[in-house]
Amino acid sequence: MLQADSVSFGYDGTPVLHAVSLNAPRGQRLGILGPNGSGKTTLLRLLAGFVRPEAGQVLLGGNAISRLPRAAVARRMALVPQETHLAFDYSVIEIALMGRYPYLSPLEFEGPQDLAIARDALRATGTDKLEDRSFTTLSGGEKQRVIIASALAQLTPAKVAVSTAVDSVLLLDEPTASLDLGYQLELVSTLRTLNQDRPITMVVSTHDLNFAASLCHELVLLRDGRVIATGPTESVLTRANIRALYDVDVDITRHAAAGHLAVVPIARIPLAAD
Amino acid sequence: MAEISGVKLQIAGSRGDTKRVPLAVVFLILLQPGMAMVNTQQGAVPGRIVSIVPSVTEMLFAIGAGSQVVGVSSFVRFPDEVSMLPRVGALLDPDMEQIFSLRPDLVILYRSQSDTREQIERAGISVFTYAHGGLLDVSETMRELGRLTGYRSQADRVARGIDTDLAVIRHRVAGRERPRVLLVLGRDPDMVRNVYASGGIGFLHDMLDAAGGANVFAGVSREAVQPTTEGILGAAPDVIIEVRTDGLLTPIDAQNSLVVWDRWSMIPAVRSGRVHFLMANELVVPGPRVATATERLAQILHPEAF
Amino acid sequence: MTASHHGSRRRRFVSLQLAFAISALAICLAAPLVGPTPLRLDAILDRSIPFADNVDAQIFFIARLPRAIAGALVGSALAAAGVVLQALLRNPLATPFTLGVSAGASLGAMLVIVLGVPPLIAGIPAVPVASFAGALGAIGIVYALARLRRSGLSTNVLLLAGVTLNSLFSAIIIFIQYLADYTQSFQAVRYLMGNLDVSSYTPIAWALPLLIVAASAFAWLPRSLNLLTLGDESAAARGVDVLRAQRVAFLSASLATGAAVSLGGPIGFVGIIIPHVVRMLVGADHRLVLPASACLGAAFLVSCDVAARTLMSPLELPVGIITAMLGGPFFLWLLVSKR
Repeated sequence: MLQADSVSFGYDGTPVLHAVSLNAPRGQRLGILGPNGSGKTTLLRLLAGFVRPEAGQVLLGGNAISRLPRAAVARRMALVPQETHLAFDYSVIEIALMGRYPYLSPLEFEGPQDLAIARDALRATGTDKLEDRSFTTLSGGEKQRVIIASALAQLTPAKVAVSTAVDSVLLLDEPTASLDLGYQLELVSTLRTLNQDRPITMVVSTHDLNFAASLCHELVLLRDGRVIATGPTESVLTRANIRALYDVDVDITRHAAAGHLAVVPIARIPLAAD
Repeated sequence: MAEISGVKLQIAGSRGDTKRVPLAVVFLILLQPGMAMVNTQQGAVPGRIVSIVPSVTEMLFAIGAGSQVVGVSSFVRFPDEVSMLPRVGALLDPDMEQIFSLRPDLVILYRSQSDTREQIERAGISVFTYAHGGLLDVSETMRELGRLTGYRSQADRVARGIDTDLAVIRHRVAGRERPRVLLVLGRDPDMVRNVYASGGIGFLHDMLDAAGGANVFAGVSREAVQPTTEGILGAAPDVIIEVRTDGLLTPIDAQNSLVVWDRWSMIPAVRSGRVHFLMANELVVPGPRVATATERLAQILHPEAF
Repeated sequence: MTASHHGSRRRRFVSLQLAFAISALAICLAAPLVGPTPLRLDAILDRSIPFADNVDAQIFFIARLPRAIAGALVGSALAAAGVVLQALLRNPLATPFTLGVSAGASLGAMLVIVLGVPPLIAGIPAVPVASFAGALGAIGIVYALARLRRSGLSTNVLLLAGVTLNSLFSAIIIFIQYLADYTQSFQAVRYLMGNLDVSSYTPIAWALPLLIVAASAFAWLPRSLNLLTLGDESAAARGVDVLRAQRVAFLSASLATGAAVSLGGPIGFVGIIIPHVVRMLVGADHRLVLPASACLGAAFLVSCDVAARTLMSPLELPVGIITAMLGGPFFLWLLVSKR
């Protein structure tokens, strides 16, 4: 569904990504893991189409996104940023309706269809009761879910219910960064449900190992702009890989109650002398 | 006003007695516009006078004290003798070094130049301050200067002459119908915008009144008025007189600049062709030539009487 | 509590918009009838009296009507530009003057006033032309600076460039005033306070095409502005051509501001009070806020101008002083009420 084909990118001559490839097939939940400065954010921006790679290309549904019209990309791929700061105060329903932008012409007003889709999206993330609340008064977790709802509304073609199967991609940038523990768990559950129902292919950039372990089918480990490992979570999330990624020694166990791998950091490994 | 000034003049005449002036009288003095205030420290007649105020400079020459003037304003043009005197700046930019280098014993400043005044008095030099007032203040100031400089009788004579001349003009126009006059002191060049006109107080208004005109803005108690377009149209003046100091424009350019009024043909003055441009230094400097200036105005307003 | 179906959402928009438009129109139509000189409507419209004798008609058609029209145009332009720039810079404290357009316009005007450029060049008044040229210069400089960094229009650089230009131009303006003589200085100071007494339809005719161009760009912007509120990348992710929207927003708002300042001088506070008030009344959806602000801006400035020409008649209180006297307390009240 979403592919990065050996993309490279640099800012003002400083290389950031070297020949990075990844593949997120339809319906998969893919995690991009790496320390700060590994190029995660840049990779996500490349995948979203905000910047063009210096080499290689990004493909959405088999088509290079650089060749697709802006609105066409927006109808198939949505982004949930790490944080959303509004300059002015909008209501929750207005934020959800903003997801309908790629379906309307500049002077067109949202129709009853759009309103229904927006409402459905809010319901899907459990935020329909907040419809008239002002966005800035919400908690971190509530805001996150409203933005996801807005993304959902964006990925739903006109004349179709939110629950209909449509090929689409949701990109999430550090979604747990500002969330309480409770909301983090809730987020995993929401994303899983959305992914299974629609299905929506998901690409999540995170440095939260346990979150990645609980959510993602496959992982891409990124360090210093290069992929050091990629594959199913179970096989990629190993002590050796974590050590290579974070210079940290960890203990990884299959946690029975949680139902997924659990990572416990043990000690920092001093950096080897060059 | 004459009585109070009499009281005040008496006090100033007894130099050295200023300390015994009762506070009430001092307060009254401060309320008089156009009156002079002198801080005298010596008893002698000032022999070296620097004057930043062109109208006072003219008065000094008129009363015979011209020989005592050693420094003048950058803007003074009259009489001819001033062209050879050193310039010491003006209202906004008095040249302190130049003033001190002339070693004056009396400096004449505008009332508003309080900082300058402080500096000069600190140097032990007497200061005479002046502010524009009405027509009556011209003669009063002249008499005051006469006392200060020791030319009392000449000053009285010149002042009386002015008063007489003005009375003659008033007599000539008495009983005649007074046209409504808009006296324009300034405006945007080439456009009737940001017009600056004479209000109901001040020497220009008084001159207009003496010349037999009715100032359209007589009801405004300010010296200058910037009326709106509505204000001008509503005033509907019968005569428009633009007043400027001379030397700014050639007479031909002055006449040409009046074309800006052509657009305003609904104003009675423009319709009847009674728009005049007067370039005369004596019109903007309230000094010994006020009677001449008033006569010029009167000639425009009541040509049949002159 | 909410508009529970789409129908009433659109209805709400339309009815609010109509309310703003109708009240603005009413105020603008009534304004020329109000003033220090009592006018009689029947006298104004009486064709039988020759114009030269009909003082009522003269005052209405020459003194008041052009002022009302100019006030409406300037007020709506500044208010709308304020809305657009606040959305562009993502800052409710931005004003049409934040990016240096007004400083450029003032500098142009100052140069004409003080350098003794002939005030009428081939019949065209020099001050408004120079003013607009100065505005264009400022726009060009700020835009070029903002484009220097990377591809894209960095709003931070826009802001910085605007602030820099404001300081620089203000310093030059003060210097020029220092060099000016007494009358020029006075003229310059009066210019800076704003003046809608155009007394002629010509400057209005010149400004109108510029304002129409800006307005047509404004019509295209509101939805994009809504999305820009979320952030550049969130907007881009939803399919907004962010660079294009930013460009159009910057250029149209600056054009409207430049035209407005050339017509009436730099009149402050309209561009910041009105967007605030409108947002407090109707929410933040720019599809409503932008046109409503244009309407309220027109009504506001026209009313301020009525006060300006009536309070101290026959003297004119510069309209910029009235807007400032309303602006200050308004912000104080905002500060206090926000707690």
